[in-house]
Amino acid sequence: MQHQFLSPDGPIEVTLVKSEKGFTLAGHSVEEIGDGRLLIHLSDGRTSYAHVAKVGDTWWVHISGQTYCWERLEPGASSSQNEGGLVAPMPGKVLEVLVAEGAKIEAGTPLMVLEAMKMEHRIVAAKDGIVSVIHFQAGDQVTQGAVLLEIDE
Amino acid sequence: MINKVLVANRGEIACRILRACREAGIQTVAICAPNDLGSLFTEMADELVMLDGETIAETYLDQEQIIKAAHSTGADAIHPGFGFLSERASFARLVKDSELIWIGPSPEAIEQMGDKMTARQTMRDAGVPVIPGEEVESEDEDEAIQLLLEASTRVGYPLLLKASSGGGGKGMRAVYEAANFLQSAEGARREAVAAFGDGRIYIERLLHGSKHIEIQILADQHGRTIHLGERECSVQRRHQKVFEEAPGPTITPKLREAMGRAAVQAAQAVHYEGAGTVEFLLSPSGEFFFLEMNTRIQVEHPVTELVTGTDIVREQIRIAAGSPMSCGDLNLRGHAIEVRLYAEDAANNFLPSIGPLAVFRPPEGPGIRLDTGVREGDEVTPNYDPMLAKLIVWAPSRSEALQRMRRALDDFVILGTTTNVRFLRELCDAQPIVDGSTTTTTIDEHWPNGWAPQSSPILEDASLLAAAAGETMGLHRTAKSNYSGEISGLPSPFSTLNRRYP
Repeated sequence: MQHQFLSPDGPIEVTLVKSEKGFTLAGHSVEEIGDGRLLIHLSDGRTSYAHVAKVGDTWWVHISGQTYCWERLEPGASSSQNEGGLVAPMPGKVLEVLVAEGAKIEAGTPLMVLEAMKMEHRIVAAKDGIVSVIHFQAGDQVTQGAVLLEIDE
Repeated sequence: MINKVLVANRGEIACRILRACREAGIQTVAICAPNDLGSLFTEMADELVMLDGETIAETYLDQEQIIKAAHSTGADAIHPGFGFLSERASFARLVKDSELIWIGPSPEAIEQMGDKMTARQTMRDAGVPVIPGEEVESEDEDEAIQLLLEASTRVGYPLLLKASSGGGGKGMRAVYEAANFLQSAEGARREAVAAFGDGRIYIERLLHGSKHIEIQILADQHGRTIHLGERECSVQRRHQKVFEEAPGPTITPKLREAMGRAAVQAAQAVHYEGAGTVEFLLSPSGEFFFLEMNTRIQVEHPVTELVTGTDIVREQIRIAAGSPMSCGDLNLRGHAIEVRLYAEDAANNFLPSIGPLAVFRPPEGPGIRLDTGVREGDEVTPNYDPMLAKLIVWAPSRSEALQRMRRALDDFVILGTTTNVRFLRELCDAQPIVDGSTTTTTIDEHWPNGWAPQSSPILEDASLLAAAAGETMGLHRTAKSNYSGEISGLPSPFSTLNRRYP
């Protein structure tokens, strides 16, 4: 049983081994207990109940006070995330555009000011480059994930 | 007598007030914006009035519409909760002029305290020490900022820019050098105009290493004004409190007495009535300075309730109805701690997050109280404040309360939306929290490069196993979400964002 998940360091492959009551992985074993939780026997001998839920493609897991999210990658799917673009982290309103198209920018340059949840957020360049396209103007509403502006390296 | 209360608020505090009314045998009316239909609080009231409009200004801030709702349902009193219209003198006045009982202080007291610049003057006149700073009066906004820039050299850096109508960290900026003053002042003014419709700002010296100590006040119409001891709320991120406790771990009976007396004086100076909070900064030298007075119920009121054995919301209602308050002499018992659970990414500058509450299982057991306005299955939207719940514990001693809080946070399961639960849990292990030496800059000092969760490779592996097993076993407790669930495992777009707050 093979699954691919996305970790901060890139895709990670998980191969489950079927056992008598469930599955094992890296010395840990898991059993289903029928109420949405999983009983996990950790490799160090401890036992823990894990709560799991899937939202979109992401598995959320709570275990021993820690919460983890693992995005499951469908076999063959690519995980490229709008390279070079800067996306709105949440729905909101553009208050101010601080750069013009064609502007040369450095990592850390403030690009835009967004208002969301009644607070101001500043969009800052993550790397050096040139602003190639600005998709929104001051006063525009943006949805979550909207590409705000594009940067050529 | 109060027979029917309209709660002019939403979420957690609306639930708190609606429950108190039900316990007191008082009928209730809730109001709700269309995007709040189905929220927990709307189910707790005897009657629900749906407001017209989309924005907050068109709904929870629409005074005329709320008064109309009170009249149409036959409510005889309005409880404003906190935020929204709770500190609008014009609303308190309109409520009274509409022959309704306002559960709060007089419009005059709200005006005197609500305008921070006026409050500082009133407190100076009443002999209560205020934080060194300057206010300027000018009709012209650009001129006002120029005058403040001049004043800033007299006050000295670092300093704080604050909105005269401010609260909740909005319209507030710390400025560490003169070169940043103008940009910060303009940002503060803009935010203040957006949040409060009032762009007046003033400056205060930034007192480093201070504790935020506040005194809970109750005053009734029979001439009695008392304090219920202090809360320490020093631990803040972005000028919003996240960890509050009572009593203050370093407060001696003598200091409590002195601060309590100053707070009572402050309340009496404005003929205060009802529940209120006088906030002070306590400097390392033991001097305390008036910060501001909140003329409403406070988010962190539960810790005071637990250590004093009072029900502050019930007292508010009692006082507004004209009855004497029921509190006896101050008698502190044990220790209480509150943490605020936010839908936010603590590992990413505390940026608010959204998503479904696919699983929401609060902890249980002795000494645990949960004040929340959400339940499993709800959606966290960007429409309102991202506070999900307040988790409050009580125990006989401070160290036991901290132990209980750690256990409770470990047991708290929230899946589907990124929250600060793990941050709060690790906060409980931070040395300044453990030894009670917290100050308003504790979080920034303890995590100078921002917080990141302590890693646990064994649990991380086990969680991967759980995810893979969940997929294989088909345990898809899939939650519907109007907003795409944000994924913390990815190189997140959130990392390109910065708050304008220090």
